[in-house]
Amino acid sequence: MDYSNQKHPQNYSQMEDLKTLDLEESVSETIMRDLRMIAYKLKYVLIPKEQEDNGKELRNWDLWGPLIFCLTLAMTLSFKADSTTSSSKSDVFAIIFVLIWVGAFVVTLNAQLLGGKVSFFQSVCLLGYCVFPINIEAIIIAFVGSYLPFVVKLIPVIICFAWSAYSSVGFMASLVPPHKKKLAVYPVFLFYLFLSWFSLIV
Amino acid sequence: MLDNLNQDVSILQPSLQMTDSQIQNRIRQMKMEDPDDQTCYQKFCNLFTIEYYREYFDVTTELVIAKVVNAFNPFSGTFFDIGGGIPELYGPFWILNTLIFTTALSVNIIKYMQLQPGEHFEYQFQIVPILTIFMYLKTLIVPMIYRVALKCVSQDRLTLLHCLTIYGYSAVVMIPISLLNSIPNPAIQWMLLVYVLFAQTSFLTSNFNQELKYLPKEKKYMIVGLVAVVQITIMILYKFYFFSSINYEQLGLVKKRTTTHLLPHILGAN
Repeated sequence: MDYSNQKHPQNYSQMEDLKTLDLEESVSETIMRDLRMIAYKLKYVLIPKEQEDNGKELRNWDLWGPLIFCLTLAMTLSFKADSTTSSSKSDVFAIIFVLIWVGAFVVTLNAQLLGGKVSFFQSVCLLGYCVFPINIEAIIIAFVGSYLPFVVKLIPVIICFAWSAYSSVGFMASLVPPHKKKLAVYPVFLFYLFLSWFSLIV
Repeated sequence: MLDNLNQDVSILQPSLQMTDSQIQNRIRQMKMEDPDDQTCYQKFCNLFTIEYYREYFDVTTELVIAKVVNAFNPFSGTFFDIGGGIPELYGPFWILNTLIFTTALSVNIIKYMQLQPGEHFEYQFQIVPILTIFMYLKTLIVPMIYRVALKCVSQDRLTLLHCLTIYGYSAVVMIPISLLNSIPNPAIQWMLLVYVLFAQTSFLTSNFNQELKYLPKEKKYMIVGLVAVVQITIMILYKFYFFSSINYEQLGLVKKRTTTHLLPHILGAN
């Protein structure tokens, strides 16, 4: 069966329309389809020009993207961690993993408690996708960080932190009533600051 | 049924300014008094719904900022006048998390600045879980101590949540201090410790003083004294546990001797 000339599905609900027979296609095709969906959502979240419909695309949340970015970040940072220091590699991995998921949970809970009416997983999905710039800076610092002085290392950290914060702030601020906007935005800011500081210091 | 309840609420207290979530909580409470109308879930699991806690997060940005600014002022006892003295949990919770972050940051900065030449920087991450536990326990237990003391003098106007709110906001003073603590000069560190001790204790005592104006003098001073003593103990623990790694010989300030940590000595360890 030839599926090559069909449009790539962008979310799971579009997939059912195509009536693809999952059991017949190869594993690489399944994986590529999921990866394409993640890439589409990533472009949507991180590049502000793509958001024409004010976040409606995010209703098709998925947690694969956040999981992949969380795992890559935790693996990059623990790979870079020396095994001779007091914090072993597994400590760093565990701390990052727990921090990302518990942090996303707490920030979303905060937005809901302040009166925002948003689905819980939608917000966790967004916060997870916005961890991607922190991933980029962690990889940059892991590979070239030992050759650069501290001040030069600060530049990609600040740029990537500003990028993550800016992408997620727009969405979070739209959830709560106007006189509580800064209250909902501050925890997001703190969350990404914490993550950026971790990736800088390792 | 619900219409009746709405009318009851407005008849009872027509002039009371209540926020939306307070009204909803009141309606739910009145509903709970009618045993036919509650499901088993409502009876026992109300604690686990989000709506139960929404009442305590009913704040605006201006209110939080006003309370934070007031917390920096150690002498005016007007904390409970802001926003009607409604207890809230947003401020204490996020101030706590910011404090954990800044203390972890400054502990690592101190270690970095004290690197011998040629030594590799060992960041310290286990400080984060320890800090979290210390801060959260402190913020949970100390207001309980206050509440128990207030109950002993039979003062019921300040509930546990009021004590939690004021204690959480009083920790704001520690945030800039913990950042400044990263300067490895011991004289500056001691000055900062004295300042934060003074600021936080006098903020708490002047506010409690204001609230307990009508109590007889001995009971009032007992409460206020208890607040001060607990505060001093906690600050000393904080300083000696988290910031004790400063290496005095390296800075050339004292003659060479083995570094001693006070806390294990106090606890009787080797």
